[in-house]
Amino acid sequence: MANQLVEIADDQGNLLGKTGVESAMSYQDLNAMINLWGEDEKLQLEKDKLAVRKYFLEHVNQNTVFFHSLKERLDYLVEHEYYEKEILDQYSFEFIKALEELAYSKKFRFEAFMGAYKFYTGYALKTFDGTRYLERFEDRVVMVALTLAAGDETVATSLVEEMISGRFQPATPTFLNCGKKQRGEFVSCFLLRIEDNMESISRGINSALQLSKRGGGVALSLSNIREYGAPIKKIEGQSSGIIPVMKLLEDSFSYANQLGARQGAGAVYLNAHHPDILRFLDTKRENADEKTRIKTLSIGVVVPDVTMELAKNNEDMYLFSPYDVEKVYGIPFGDISVTEKYNEMVDDPRIKKSKIKARELFERIAELQFESGYPYVMYEDTVNRANPIEGRINMSNLCSEILQVNTPTTYNADLSYDNIGKDISCNLGSMNIAMAMDGPDFAKTVEAAIRALTAVSDMSDIESVRSISDGNHKSHAIGLGQMNLHGYLAREHVHYGSEEALDFTNMYFYTVVYNAIKASNKIAIERKSSFHNFENSKYASGEYFEKYTDQVWAPATQKVKELFGKSNIQIPSQDDWKALKESVMKHGIYNQNLQAVPPTGSISYINNSTSSIHPIASRIEVRKEGKLGRVYYPAPFLDQENWDYYEDAYEVGPEKIIDTYAVATQHVDQGLSLTLFFKDTATTRDVNRSQIYAWRKGIKTIYYIRIRQAALEGTEVENCVSCML
Amino acid sequence: MELASKLITRPINWNKIEDSVDLDVWNRLTQNFWLPEKVPISNDIQSWGTLRPHEKKLTMHVFTGLTMLDTIQGTVGSMSLMPDSRTQHEEAVITNIAFMESVHAKSYSSVFSTLCSTADIDEAFRWSEDNPYLQKKAEIILGYYNGDDPLKRKVASTLLESFLFYSGFYLPMYWSSRAKLTNTADLIRLIIRDEAIHGYYIGYKFQLGFNESTTARQEELKAYTYDLLLELYANEVKYTADLYDEIGLTHDVKQFLHYNGNKALMNLGFEPLFPKDDCQVSPAILSALSPSSDENHDFFSGSGSSYVIGKHEATTDDDWDF
Repeated sequence: MANQLVEIADDQGNLLGKTGVESAMSYQDLNAMINLWGEDEKLQLEKDKLAVRKYFLEHVNQNTVFFHSLKERLDYLVEHEYYEKEILDQYSFEFIKALEELAYSKKFRFEAFMGAYKFYTGYALKTFDGTRYLERFEDRVVMVALTLAAGDETVATSLVEEMISGRFQPATPTFLNCGKKQRGEFVSCFLLRIEDNMESISRGINSALQLSKRGGGVALSLSNIREYGAPIKKIEGQSSGIIPVMKLLEDSFSYANQLGARQGAGAVYLNAHHPDILRFLDTKRENADEKTRIKTLSIGVVVPDVTMELAKNNEDMYLFSPYDVEKVYGIPFGDISVTEKYNEMVDDPRIKKSKIKARELFERIAELQFESGYPYVMYEDTVNRANPIEGRINMSNLCSEILQVNTPTTYNADLSYDNIGKDISCNLGSMNIAMAMDGPDFAKTVEAAIRALTAVSDMSDIESVRSISDGNHKSHAIGLGQMNLHGYLAREHVHYGSEEALDFTNMYFYTVVYNAIKASNKIAIERKSSFHNFENSKYASGEYFEKYTDQVWAPATQKVKELFGKSNIQIPSQDDWKALKESVMKHGIYNQNLQAVPPTGSISYINNSTSSIHPIASRIEVRKEGKLGRVYYPAPFLDQENWDYYEDAYEVGPEKIIDTYAVATQHVDQGLSLTLFFKDTATTRDVNRSQIYAWRKGIKTIYYIRIRQAALEGTEVENCVSCML
Repeated sequence: MELASKLITRPINWNKIEDSVDLDVWNRLTQNFWLPEKVPISNDIQSWGTLRPHEKKLTMHVFTGLTMLDTIQGTVGSMSLMPDSRTQHEEAVITNIAFMESVHAKSYSSVFSTLCSTADIDEAFRWSEDNPYLQKKAEIILGYYNGDDPLKRKVASTLLESFLFYSGFYLPMYWSSRAKLTNTADLIRLIIRDEAIHGYYIGYKFQLGFNESTTARQEELKAYTYDLLLELYANEVKYTADLYDEIGLTHDVKQFLHYNGNKALMNLGFEPLFPKDDCQVSPAILSALSPSSDENHDFFSGSGSSYVIGKHEATTDDDWDF
């Protein structure tokens, strides 16, 4: 068998490979070969193409149910309760047929094995016994478009165009679930407040179970909960603090997974001035006691400006009892600006307090980030200064890109709702920067994306958690993200984090925000409706637009002028902004929030993108995921010749990443998932310095800290591409 | 000099390093410290349920075999190297190695207790006591540990660390490349990360002794090494067939054994024994072995094997100057 020569060709008949050994190799092996140098010391990228081909020949094609016609296929899928009849009934069969033909006419091909594998294992509709596929990529795209367009043929057609070309990619829950009869929700992400009472805590756990079951990550704010040893019914020393709540939540998330599609996941946020802050951090310690150790729950710290100031002066920082603060001020601790009230609270004898060294807190945070990657950090005051909406932002979400206002819910003695507050949900989708720059009409792409995301918000109704569904109906919040920045820059021979790269990132996001607001304004005009409380926002007052109407934004470097010059993108002028401002102040915008840049894991593989606006983690990325095992993913557009432009995140270093995010942040109303990468020679001090630098540059949140440890010399695997530093 | 250091008790002075490799390895090992509780093995319960009965049995036997080796290494092996230390720092490194071996041995138990029933666990341990090849393997290695030649002990130890473990390590790597038991594979990768350093370090110390030896002694050690490897190999092949025949992977595992046998020889400073054509390890397994922690994972999937204990350094006023 090893000597048998088999020719493997792609669809166009081009010969991809012709060796006996390779034909005997599994697609997993072929894929893994891109992580090993070839005999001629060259990258074996073609092996990945072979892996894709082989995967289709040996696995996908053989396990796909064959239908003679589209009609037969749709009838079968509806009759057997795979597809939702109501979705298809909104359109004529002729239209659906034409849309399928449009999708297939684009000759979509997966560029990387990772993308194909990920799509078929994670997204494609399968028979109920899980053994055979009922959809190809094109079918999925059509079904998503039909669902989100809600009967509007023009919208459906533009969505197919945008998705099949890779310019826009909805987030996993939307892309996975649309059109399926047996499905989870379309929304990715939920944020819940917990108040300082048992009703709210148990409601929080209940909601975590319900939301996790329905397909999203859930974050909860613990800042309001009274600390360890606080009084209960005035009896001192009774409260167990927040750790047991974290344990309950962690177990809830492991129990509820999303129809087995992926594990439930949750995060909890705590204000840095909560008395349990050190205990909270220590749950992630390598040697934490099993009773207090938190393994799968993510944690985040909310850091106000005053904490930074105290650390600067090397002072003690006071931690305040949330129980007392709420008694004194009549509002929960999380809704207080600690920066504003710090001195007042320090001087107030009614508030019980303890103190720690501010710098030691930051050192502790950095130590834990080395050990576990956690906690996330949210710079509370930066976030609130940039918030155009009335209210206060006191937490973020599982990926630290959602930043919206919330209000508390209160309960009656029988656990029914007294007053339903506002909790947060956000549905996401990302544009592929490279494809968008290549596209025929940028404004149209952004508009299609905004409409798709708005449709998800309109269709979502999480009845089991009223604070979420009420919040969604009021806010129509969405989060348009971006990905493939590094891929695009490298393709255009620009180094990540260089002056030209920052110039490009700035102008790109500047153009996105204009078109996004414009699209939302257009929807508001069509529907004659804006988000709830628009009138008290900085959009309504026009204040939000000042930075765009009062100064000129234009490319600063020749390279970026050229990049935009050869694209079909109109960079908005001051006059454009003035007109938009006027229209928004008159008609409003439909979505309370518009942009949020998620880390884009899975969808960036399907879309052949680099993640988010991060630098690549590695030229050949080694990826482990529950459903996939270990798969190797070559950076998009990488070849032997442009190798140098693919500096990985560890080579790029934290400063350039922060600079890149800083220029993007100024045009994004919510947040951007920002991971920092360090070599293992870094110390906690290096991490702290980056946190300080990020805060100074106006970064809103920091997501993971990643550490790369090089293999000790002499122990590495020979010829391994990803081992090479 | 050796004698003197045994008679006079000297406090260890880490500010006076005789062999910088000791310090490098110590730093690396302490930085790599971990405990099995780090890895959310329970996330594999669903995946475990998808294995067929004979696959489950195989996995448990493989892990029991690994537990056996780590038990030997933790309680006898590493300790037996202690009296031969060239420096005090080497002694310190060996205590760390011994301790981590016990952590490894315990890790398999936490995999068992998470995934399997007590009856199954008991069966697997009974199997380990009855399996002639596993017992033979233990017997051979223990025989050399109890011998009186310090360099030969190091050879035995390196072969154990760099060669014998791998018939067992193959399986979790294989599963993870098929998207099964991926968290367990993370844990095993942490063990491999440690074993790679242990094998390298002990092999290095062997080479120091070897280079100081006479030509005749060198010839003797070399012959001994190849003899021992072949003796272990003969047994290992049977052990492998016994385990992997049913699932049809024996051939692949043997290729993997050859690859690692050569690697062990390399650690000892010797020429490879097995021809390259017999070391055709499946790329999926080879790539999965990479001990560098460059793996990317998301929060839905588990802890990964990439985090380390960080070096603490206080910030200064300059850092906070804003």
